[in-house]
Amino acid sequence: MTSANVEVLALDEHTVEIAITGEVDLSNSETVQDELFAAIANHLATVRLDLAGLTYIDSAGLRILFELADRLRLLQTQCEISAPPGSASRRIIELSGLDSLVRLRP
Amino acid sequence: MLRIMPSSVDSDSAADRLRRIEAVTDTTLAHLDAAQLLNELLVRVRDLLAADTATVLLLDRSGQQLIASAASGIEEEVRQGVRIAVGEGFAGHIAATRQPLMIQQVGPTTVVNPLLWEKGITSLAGVPLLAGGELIGVLHIGTLAPRPFTEQDVQLLQVVGDRLALATHSRLSRAERAAASALQRNLLPTRLPHVPGLELSARYAPGEAGGVGGDWYDVFTLPSGWLCVAMGDVVGRGLPAATVMSRLRTTVRSYALDSADPGEVLSKVDQHVRHFEPQTMSTIAYAMWEPSLDRMHLSLAGHLAPVLIVPGEPASVLDVPVDPPVGVGSTPVRRRVATIDVPAGSTVLFYTDGLVERRHRTLDDGLRLLRESARAGSTELLCSTVMSRLVGADPTDDDIAVLAVRRQDTGELGAITLVFPAVPEVLADIRATLRRWLPSVGTSPDDIADLLVVIGEAGSNVIEHAYGPAGGELTVALRSHGRDVFATISDSGRWRPPRGTHRGRGTQLMEQLTDELRVEHGPDGTTVHIRRRLTGGE
Repeated sequence: MTSANVEVLALDEHTVEIAITGEVDLSNSETVQDELFAAIANHLATVRLDLAGLTYIDSAGLRILFELADRLRLLQTQCEISAPPGSASRRIIELSGLDSLVRLRP
Repeated sequence: MLRIMPSSVDSDSAADRLRRIEAVTDTTLAHLDAAQLLNELLVRVRDLLAADTATVLLLDRSGQQLIASAASGIEEEVRQGVRIAVGEGFAGHIAATRQPLMIQQVGPTTVVNPLLWEKGITSLAGVPLLAGGELIGVLHIGTLAPRPFTEQDVQLLQVVGDRLALATHSRLSRAERAAASALQRNLLPTRLPHVPGLELSARYAPGEAGGVGGDWYDVFTLPSGWLCVAMGDVVGRGLPAATVMSRLRTTVRSYALDSADPGEVLSKVDQHVRHFEPQTMSTIAYAMWEPSLDRMHLSLAGHLAPVLIVPGEPASVLDVPVDPPVGVGSTPVRRRVATIDVPAGSTVLFYTDGLVERRHRTLDDGLRLLRESARAGSTELLCSTVMSRLVGADPTDDDIAVLAVRRQDTGELGAITLVFPAVPEVLADIRATLRRWLPSVGTSPDDIADLLVVIGEAGSNVIEHAYGPAGGELTVALRSHGRDVFATISDSGRWRPPRGTHRGRGTQLMEQLTDELRVEHGPDGTTVHIRRRLTGGE
C-alpha cells in the first residue's frame, strides 16, 4: 500500500509551505492531489512545495505537479519546488521538463 | 487427468491408437476455456508423442507472420514474442504449403528460430492448423534426442491440430465480435453534446447479418463556435470496419479543427484514406453549422442527402451535389459544398443507406416513405417514428444510423443556464453560446460585441479569482425581458483581491458596456448581475 503525507509546514498571509513525504504513485495520486490543492487558498502569492522527504514519485505524481504549476500560473501565484540534488524527485522533475515551469530549488 | 506413459509411443495397435486419440478429444477438455484448452492440449501432446516441446504459432491479421501464441517445454517462445514469416524456415514452410513436415536434424538452414537450436532440439514435426479451410496457424513438436517421427505420429498430431484449430478459431471470432461491438459502442456518442439552441437525437441499429457494420456518426463543436456533424458508412463489417471507422472519425475531427470549409475537410480525409487506408472506402456526409445556426454548409462524399423538415412544409430530401466516396479512384476530386438555410424550428435528418434500402422495395420508395414519415418537432419522436415506419419488425441485413438535428424556435430559447468548469478553455464555449443565443432575442451586432466582452470579463474574473488550484464551477444564466437582456455570472468560491497587471481595466470596461452592473459577494460565492438595454432595431 502506497502512502504519502501532505503537511502544511508554515502558513502566513502570503505564503504557504507544504511538504509531501512518502511515496506517490497511481494508487494514491488522487488523494495526494486533493489534499495538496485543498491546502492552497486562492489569496496566496507564493506556494513552496518541499519534496525532500518524497522517496518515490512516478508519472502519476508528476501529473499532480504539472497540474499544480498550470493552475498556479493561471492564478498568478508563484510556485517553488524544493528538491535537493540527488533526491528521488529531483531527477524525475528535471527529466520531465517541469523545471521550466516552476522555480526549482536549491 | 489422463496419464499416458511415453512407452506407448512404441506401440501402434488399434486399441492403443484409439486410446491416444481419446486423450486429446476427451470430454473433460470441454470444460476448459480456450486458453486453458490450448495449454492442456500442448501438455498432452508432449506426453503422447514423448516430445520435449510443443508450440502453437498463430497467423497474424496480415497473413504474413506466424506468432508464437502457446508453448509447452519452450515457454520462452511466447514470452519473447517469436515471429516467423510465412514461407521461411520450418513453421513458415508448413504455413505456406499447408502440409505436415518432419525434420530429423535441425540446423540453421532448415529452422530460422534460434531458440529451437539453442534449446538443443534436433527433430521436429509440425502440422498446419486449419479451420473451415482457412489457415490459422501451425502446431509443432520437438525432441532433444534425434527421432524419426512416424506417419502415425503425424496423424495424431493432426488430430490435436484440428482440435486446436477449432477452439482457437471460435475463440478468435468471439473475441473479434466482442471487440468490434465494444469499439462501436465507444465511438458512437451515447450522449450527444449539449448545444444551446439545438436539439439532437440519434439511433443506431446493428444489422442481422452478424456483428456490427461500419456505420458511424459524430457531433462536436469547434473552438470557433461552429458545430460539426459527420455521418459515414465504411464498406465492410466486423472488427476491420470498426477499427477503420474509429480512425476515420479521428481523421475527420483533426481536419475539422483546421478548416471552415466542409469540402476541403472531405478532400483531406479522402487524401488521408487513399494514402493510409488503401483498402478502404467510405461514404461521408459532413456538415458545419455557423455559430448563429442560421446556415449549414454541407459536403457529401457518396452519402445519401439529408432530409430537411421545415415546420408547415412537406419534408424534402435536400437537392445538393454528391461527390464520390472517400478512398476511391487515384486522383482527388474537387468537392462541392452546398449552403442550406435552416430556419428556426427546422430539423435536418442524417441517415445511412440501411434505413431506406430494402430487398423488397426500391430506394426511391424508401426515400418517399422517409419523407412522408418525417415530421417537424421533437427529434426523439422523429427518430422513433422513422425507425418504426422504415424498419418496423423487419430484419435488416445492413446496420442503420440516424441522427436528427433541430434548431430550436426562438420561443424555446427564452432563458438558458449553463454550468462550466472554471477553466480558461470554457471562455470560447461561452462566447460561442452567446453568439447563438443573443441573435435569437433580437440583439444587434453591436449589442452582441459588447455583451461578449462584458460576460467574458465576468467569466474571466471567476476563473482567475474565485477558486484555488482545486477549481470549481462557473454558471452563466441568460434571459431576455422586453428590450433588456439580463445575465448573471456566478461561482461558489471566495474572491481574492485583484492582482496582476491588467486588473481594474476589466471592471471599467464592464461598467461602460452595461446599463446595470452589480456584484454580490456572499459566503457561498459571488454573483455578477448584468442588465443591458438592446440598441438593435431602435
